[in-house]
Amino acid sequence: MTNVATSVAGAKPAAFRLTTRQREAIAGYLFVAPDAIGLMLFIGLPMVLALGISVFEVDGFGGFRFVGAANYIRMWNDPLFWQSLGVTVRFMVMLVPLLYVMGLGLALLVQRTSKFNTVMRSMFFAPQMVSLVVVALVWQLMVVDKLGVLTRFAASIGLGGISFLGDPNIALFTVTLAAVWFLMGFYMLIFLGGLQDIPRELYEAARIDGASSTQSFFSITLPLLRPTSFFVLLTSSVAAVTGAQAFDLIYVMTRGGPANSTALLISYIYAQAFQYSAFGYAAALAALLVVLLMVITVFFFVVTKGGRFDYE
Amino acid sequence: MIKSNMPAGWSRRSILKGGTALAAAGLTMPLVGKAFGQDNALSFWQFYAPDGEVKPQVEWFVKMVNDWNAAQPDQVKLEYVVGSEYISGTKLATSFASGQGPDIFIISPGDFLRYYNGGVLHDLTPSIEEAARADFPESVIANRMVDGKIFGVPMEVEPMAFYYSVKAFEDAGLNENDVPQTWDQLLEVGKKLTTAERYGVLFETNPGYYQNFTWYPFMWQGGGEFQTADGKSAFDSPATVAALKLWQEAVNSGAAPRQMLGGGGGDIVANLGSGYCAMQNVGIWGISAMDNNAPDVPYGIFKLPVPTGGKYVTVGGGWAFVANAKGKNPEAAAKFIAWALASMAPDSVQRVVDWCTVAKSDMPPRNSALTAGGEAFNKGKMGIFSKDIHPGTRAEPRVPPEVYKIISDAIQATQLGGADPQATATAASQQLDAFLESYAGAPIL
Repeated sequence: MTNVATSVAGAKPAAFRLTTRQREAIAGYLFVAPDAIGLMLFIGLPMVLALGISVFEVDGFGGFRFVGAANYIRMWNDPLFWQSLGVTVRFMVMLVPLLYVMGLGLALLVQRTSKFNTVMRSMFFAPQMVSLVVVALVWQLMVVDKLGVLTRFAASIGLGGISFLGDPNIALFTVTLAAVWFLMGFYMLIFLGGLQDIPRELYEAARIDGASSTQSFFSITLPLLRPTSFFVLLTSSVAAVTGAQAFDLIYVMTRGGPANSTALLISYIYAQAFQYSAFGYAAALAALLVVLLMVITVFFFVVTKGGRFDYE
Repeated sequence: MIKSNMPAGWSRRSILKGGTALAAAGLTMPLVGKAFGQDNALSFWQFYAPDGEVKPQVEWFVKMVNDWNAAQPDQVKLEYVVGSEYISGTKLATSFASGQGPDIFIISPGDFLRYYNGGVLHDLTPSIEEAARADFPESVIANRMVDGKIFGVPMEVEPMAFYYSVKAFEDAGLNENDVPQTWDQLLEVGKKLTTAERYGVLFETNPGYYQNFTWYPFMWQGGGEFQTADGKSAFDSPATVAALKLWQEAVNSGAAPRQMLGGGGGDIVANLGSGYCAMQNVGIWGISAMDNNAPDVPYGIFKLPVPTGGKYVTVGGGWAFVANAKGKNPEAAAKFIAWALASMAPDSVQRVVDWCTVAKSDMPPRNSALTAGGEAFNKGKMGIFSKDIHPGTRAEPRVPPEVYKIISDAIQATQLGGADPQATATAASQQLDAFLESYAGAPIL
């Protein structure tokens, strides 16, 4: 028996022998498996479950009741939903261009390699190393009524009495500035990478042809930065819509006030789920948010032909 | 031959094997830990102990649980949750949503209906003796009761008042005789106390349960309510409009800020203590906060001013122990709560006294504790509360989150958004009626 078993284990039938290509494929799948399983378990599955509970009334204490599309219909008649969607759109419209301009501007300023520029790059990136809660508290102190540094500066140029976080007409802009200050170092690094990929010869040729710095910027730098710009615009738009990074900032600085003027859609979803225990409605709102993000992403992909550019 | 860049002795197969082993270990470790870590003790979630920062409060909780555990078979285990996470984070909500809520926890009146209507509050009545039940004044216990049954035992009563800076008064040529007694005087004195670097009077400006809590007495003082006895909205009333207008005028006149320092309107040290404002609307906890963190700042206390023709009333908040009806052993949890805070045994009464005088500076929720505490409740600034302020205390309303939000939006829109108080009250009242019409939970009080 032992001999038979050994011979069976030792001599694999030819039919089960894998080709090199098949073995490569299996190894490839196995290496990808941890990421794929993780994504499916922690991103894919919750998304499917969230979509599932969006058609239920879920009270947060184990009670489920099928309501069909009622949660989606409720959105239509919910003024707070529309208000928070409006705030989110305004936040995105302010944040994305400001981040783009600041990130690119800083990258252009510090792109040349020198000790001074290295220090400056570190300083611009430094806010990323600090907790967002701390950033929010520091900004809160800088703009506090009467006593804040920026409030005093505003008073010195004739804007006395301004309340950066207490006035519903200004608060969202103030929060956006704080978010830009926090995020611009990260986008500066992305643009620096893009700038370093542009061949120097192109600038030299342009200079020999008599092009000015401005002409070089608009004819060489900006066109060749299109892949980087695509990435920056897409990720900053997603960050603005999902409130990623801004959620903590807004919670600490204004708690969505004054008068709901800084209440983003993501904050409203959070409130519905964890303050009102309306998990079903929150899931429906989250599903809509995902659709919104997909629309933005598809828009960028269509405009840029899938992220590819004509010179590639 | 392809040159591999992997370290010597490593192969693709060995990496896959190692990775699989690590993944298997990672997945099974929690199960092993859970098997060894089975704990039948009743979990008690709160934001005080054992890892809280205020030593007397930590000691009070630890002693209470140790005393219980030494004499009872059903053990209780304290589990600390950071205050901000407990009050406005996701931990408590997600624990109940996943069916793993704590056995015992603490809630404020603002959260009572959410948990009661969710069916997770256990009836504590059978565990509380009748004499102890009668020891809780109706104004304190009513908002923790449904249909005559007790679902929460209060630990404390925290009435709201005004604190003022003695120095700010002196700088403005005022003294304690100028302490405002009416709303008009409050605005007038507030303006006098306002300087280039200081606000005269401070009301909470951050939206939230706390802002609503601090605004209610101003609505009540003129006879306003948010709900009629038959369950309809009463928000559109002259008293409500006047209360909204008061807070709006304070901001519009420049006497009150639109933004606050530190932890907001409940943080007296960061605002009154720092000189940011001269008068601040804060609760009784302000005494211990000032004594511990700003001992060199002289201050006084006065009760809430009233509108012309109005009646003095303030609001009293405070947290309560509750038992999870879906917990491991709700009966044992109820017995623990009754033993801790609602028994006529001397140690139970003394525990309430200690919480309100040693661990905190609060009014006790029980008549016997007020008597047993004696001088501690009558001396110094606590005496102002027990004699002048607390007698007019009305319990914090318990409202569903939807009602809270409607009222919060009305306050924010008028106070900071510049909206017309009458139009805002009318619109809010319509929203309230729409909600109350379909509301099917426990009575809103």
